[in-house]
Amino acid sequence: MIEVVLAGFLGSLGEFLQPSNLASVFVDGLSKAALYVMIASGLTLIFGLMGVLNFAHGSMTMIGAYLGGLLMVLMVGQASGPGARLLAFFVALAVTFAVLAGIGGVVEVGLIRRLYDRPPVYQILLTFGLTLVLDELVRIAVLFYGMQPTSDWQAALATKPGFLDSSVDLGLVSVPGLDLFEIAFGAATVVGLWAFLTRTRYGLIIRAGSEDAEMTEALGIDVRRVFTVVFALGAGVAGAAGTLLMWDASWAASVPLAADTLLPAFVVVIIGGLGTFRGTVVAAVIVGMTDAVMTWWFQNVVEFTGLPEMTIFLILVIMLILKPQGLFGVEEVGGH
Amino acid sequence: MTLLEVEDAHTYYGESHILEGVSFEVEAGEVVALIGRNGVGKTTTLRTILQLTPPREGRVRYRGEDVTGRETHEIAEKGVGWIPEGRRIFSQLSVEENVRVAVPEGRNVESAVERAFETFPDLRDHRDRDAGNLSGGQQQMLALSRGLVGDNDLLLVDEPSEGLAPLIVERVAEALAAAADDTTLLLVEQNLPLALDLADRFYVLDNGQVVDEGNADETSADDERLRRYLSA
Repeated sequence: MIEVVLAGFLGSLGEFLQPSNLASVFVDGLSKAALYVMIASGLTLIFGLMGVLNFAHGSMTMIGAYLGGLLMVLMVGQASGPGARLLAFFVALAVTFAVLAGIGGVVEVGLIRRLYDRPPVYQILLTFGLTLVLDELVRIAVLFYGMQPTSDWQAALATKPGFLDSSVDLGLVSVPGLDLFEIAFGAATVVGLWAFLTRTRYGLIIRAGSEDAEMTEALGIDVRRVFTVVFALGAGVAGAAGTLLMWDASWAASVPLAADTLLPAFVVVIIGGLGTFRGTVVAAVIVGMTDAVMTWWFQNVVEFTGLPEMTIFLILVIMLILKPQGLFGVEEVGGH
Repeated sequence: MTLLEVEDAHTYYGESHILEGVSFEVEAGEVVALIGRNGVGKTTTLRTILQLTPPREGRVRYRGEDVTGRETHEIAEKGVGWIPEGRRIFSQLSVEENVRVAVPEGRNVESAVERAFETFPDLRDHRDRDAGNLSGGQQQMLALSRGLVGDNDLLLVDEPSEGLAPLIVERVAEALAAAADDTTLLLVEQNLPLALDLADRFYVLDNGQVVDEGNADETSADDERLRRYLSA
């Protein structure tokens, strides 16, 4: 009996290790990592500077998906060519980023700012309550227009240019065009945020404020205004992530997207070491790769498709046991 | 000219009453030491001036202007620098970035960094290292240079010699004496000989009040009057 299982396992392992399979799992992992980094980096920036765990982050991604989808549906017709669709996507992306950044700024100034001096549970309750309100508002709006809030928005999915649905031949493997698009998108976001944080004076101030807000303030810097800017930036990135997910059939615009993105985002942020951008990028790659490997095994060997999602929580548990402060975390972050 | 004036400041942490009516003045160009035992409110006095912990009663005036209740960054912009207890350098930023972030908006950053490295050549050799990896003495030099590049007219210096080896303390004292040529200093220091050596005048704090004051040049570190307030 054991021999049979073992032989089966070794056979599967041999198949998994075939270069073409490894390569396609690798690309799949990268595209998943790109999505994880998109949904988590806004969360980590906000936590790093303000110590606020923004439970409304997933809702902002979800609103970004609907808003991006709405703009796409309005701009793209049956006859639109792939170039026009791609152009429309970047317009939708810019608008979504700006709108969500505006919402983030208003939320910070109007609500969260009053609670910085209180224990963290106040901010958690506030942002959690905000999530309930935002999700319900979107649900009402979606129902009003005669759509199902819990199922994927097909009309938005259909605005994708055809070439993202077809596969691209990379020699060893052929890869879904959308995967490559997501990888490029995630990489551009990481490079952009990294350059902003390390190459600009504003980024320097954010990093200083993340470590010691009081000392930064005493150097003559208006840290409160920096808080607003970073909250807006984090919300804007969440919205941009939503616009990207709106095209991906395994996510897509729907109200449950809020919770579906919030949990993995938290996992990635915690594994990376709360509030460090570098840690979040590395954690997203680890989680993305593990997810891709597990997806292959559970689709090709053990047919149980619910399990890959569980494995990312398994990584979290292992991380919390081995290194509770996360990969790049320091003992105390977010204090001020 | 009176640069700084603290008048009857009452400051609380939560419900505990730390400063119970502190009043004193600092003239432009002076070095003034605040001395007293642990926990009598010296650090709180500096935090009160910066409005990090604003007083519930009383006033803080800077250049004759009432700054009570203003935001800390506004006070810093007016030229008040803080070299806090425990240095509080940004350990995850590089040494150079620590200096850069302290240069006020609109000033020439490169020349300010250059000035800091001329004053503390040690720091130049480590400019790209994470500041958290510096020795305690180097961190104090970095905290000092952060205060110096801020173009401050008043530096609030809290326990600069704390936790440093005697040889390093000497170098910190030299750097402070040099800084005092261009800047007014308000110095909190446990090391009484050092405080009296640097200062022109001193105030003694006890139980949240100013209980004595004097001229530093006429007072020795084993003065009976001071001993009474400083011995535990």
